[in-house]
Amino acid sequence: MRGLLFSDIPKNAGEMASYFSKKMDIDIISIHDESVLKYGASKVYFYDSGFSDNLSDAIIKLNDKNKYDFIFISSTVLGREIAGILSARTGMKCLTEIFYFDNNDKIITKRLFYGGKTVMEESSDFHLFTVAPGISSADTLEKISESENLQLQKSIYEIKSRLDKNSGGEDISDAKIIVSIGRGVGSKENIQKIEPLVDILHAKLAGSRPVCLDYKWLSEDQQVGLSGKKVRPDFYIALGISGQIQHIAGIRGAKTVIAINKDKTAPIFDECDYGIVDDLFSVVDKLVNELKK
Amino acid sequence: MNIAVLIKQTIDMDQLKTNENGEPILDNLPLKLDILSKNAIEAAVQLKEKYGGEITGISFGTDKTTSAIKEAYAMGVDTGVILKGYKKSNPHVTANVIYEYIKDKNFDIIILGNQSSDSYSGILAPVLSEKMKIPLLSNAIGIEIADKNVKATLELEEYNVIQTQAMPVVISVAQEINNPRLPNVMQIMKAGKKEIKIIDANPNYSDSPNVISNTAPKSERKRIIFENTDDGVAEISRLLRGASR
Ligand SMILES: Cc1cc2nc3c(=O)[nH]c(=O)nc-3n(C[C@H](O)[C@H](O)[C@H](O)COP(=O)(O)OP(=O)(O)OC[C@H]3O[C@@H](n4cnc5c(N)ncnc54)[C@H](O)[C@@H]3O)c2cc1C
Ligand SMILES: Nc1ncnc2c1ncn2[C@@H]1O[C@H](COP(=O)(O)O)[C@@H](O)[C@H]1O
Repeated sequence: MRGLLFSDIPKNAGEMASYFSKKMDIDIISIHDESVLKYGASKVYFYDSGFSDNLSDAIIKLNDKNKYDFIFISSTVLGREIAGILSARTGMKCLTEIFYFDNNDKIITKRLFYGGKTVMEESSDFHLFTVAPGISSADTLEKISESENLQLQKSIYEIKSRLDKNSGGEDISDAKIIVSIGRGVGSKENIQKIEPLVDILHAKLAGSRPVCLDYKWLSEDQQVGLSGKKVRPDFYIALGISGQIQHIAGIRGAKTVIAINKDKTAPIFDECDYGIVDDLFSVVDKLVNELKK
Repeated sequence: MNIAVLIKQTIDMDQLKTNENGEPILDNLPLKLDILSKNAIEAAVQLKEKYGGEITGISFGTDKTTSAIKEAYAMGVDTGVILKGYKKSNPHVTANVIYEYIKDKNFDIIILGNQSSDSYSGILAPVLSEKMKIPLLSNAIGIEIADKNVKATLELEEYNVIQTQAMPVVISVAQEINNPRLPNVMQIMKAGKKEIKIIDANPNYSDSPNVISNTAPKSERKRIIFENTDDGVAEISRLLRGASR
């Protein structure tokens, strides 16, 4: 069994490779980044700059040559473009946003539905899939994959300019301990009251969507959830987060979830291992004092 | 300018409850506009306000989709079309039905959401762009038009880019592009009286995946909740002390 993986984000390539290499032989097409050679692919095809049209061409060509059983595309903005184009050009139907794949008699996949409220388990004989980020941890191996540079044709697209986003500079997706803040923190200034806990635990700071996107107390790349990062730390500490389904969708991979919320009825208490019902600032102070001992 | 906006109606997922087996209870659930369809409508109306033109709102839906089209009318869409026959989420079927309708209508811009709020499929825009053989601008957070060119700011995962393409184009929008307007009572009243074109789509669902189950995931969390803070702090710091070493 052979699969071809595509991702324009090296980290996603690593996650997908770790997951699918346990099930089949894999090749990867990835943006040029040496880290991708460490995830167990037979062959890695690198490109430096590509768009949906020329990358789709390259994937079709490689697939014609190597006759892959499956093509898995990382669900990023570019990845979804490529999946749609591949599908329209080749007639291959595409199953989207899977986070589970098994291939016995039939292909069994799972994806979130109803905005993350349910999990849809399906059987099909599809060959093309988009894969939700965070399907696995990215586990590096000793062996280094062979690599080759892809020659891409000219694209009709061209980037006129590139604008950097404000970034926290830290990648929360591989953190061991995450302290995550919600609207309950109240203001950007209040974050400094949380920092002693972050420091003492050597944790990384993350947040809910309103905190990262609407109020910008944190940067966009610190957002956890359905439309943010899916994280898998040993401990996820949710402070003043109500626990709406779109947030929970990002923390299903956490080993232990700890929630602090002053509202006893907050849904986060149904989705945590340990919870304290109280004002988050007083609990954070007490935790820090206790951990200092 | 001739603008098409693609409008999806979904169930109101905030009100969705599940039964003891985790199955969603769909009976009598209110319907609403897909979140990004609303952003797409707002983006279309803003383009019309700035540059002039006509907006056609198109939904592959059912008889019940009239409420979605009325909402779109109230926001500023000029003509509403329901392609009737939607049964379930299958992006290929949706793409075929919509393509058959739009292929010969000479739209300059086709606007839709980047990912719909129930399925998150996110492949309708590229499938349509490929079928129409026109360029695609994905996940836009800003759109400007000069002459026959569309200049869009596109939000990618790690940075944003600016791209320009000559019309006709397909543009998918991100939620950050705008805050959809709330129509006033007058606009809602007027929208209620406007005619809606309904066309039978006769979709072909034959190669859909087979749904084995669709249920709320069971949480395996321990749910040990402390109402006494000091007890909770003692237990949790014990756990964390082990981990942070
Ligand atoms: C398509 C879509 C995608 C989405 N994607 C995401 C996503 O990726 N990530 C995400 O997080 N959300 C996402 N959301 C938004 C989500 O539905 C919720 O609105 C959001 O998660 C709520 O954030 P919150 O918990 O910080 O705020 P709130 O729901 O307002 O909760 C704040 C909580 O803080 C508590 N609180 C207040 N003060 C204190 C205090 N002093 N001490 C202790 N507790 C206190 C309150 O009791 C309350 O429970 C998405 C929504 C949609 C429609
Ligand atoms: N049944 C439909 N009718 C009209 N537009 C749709 C339909 N389904 C999806 N769309 C549009 O396509 C966008 C992306 O949907 P999807 O590709 O299914 O995630 C949505 O935000 C809508 O704008």
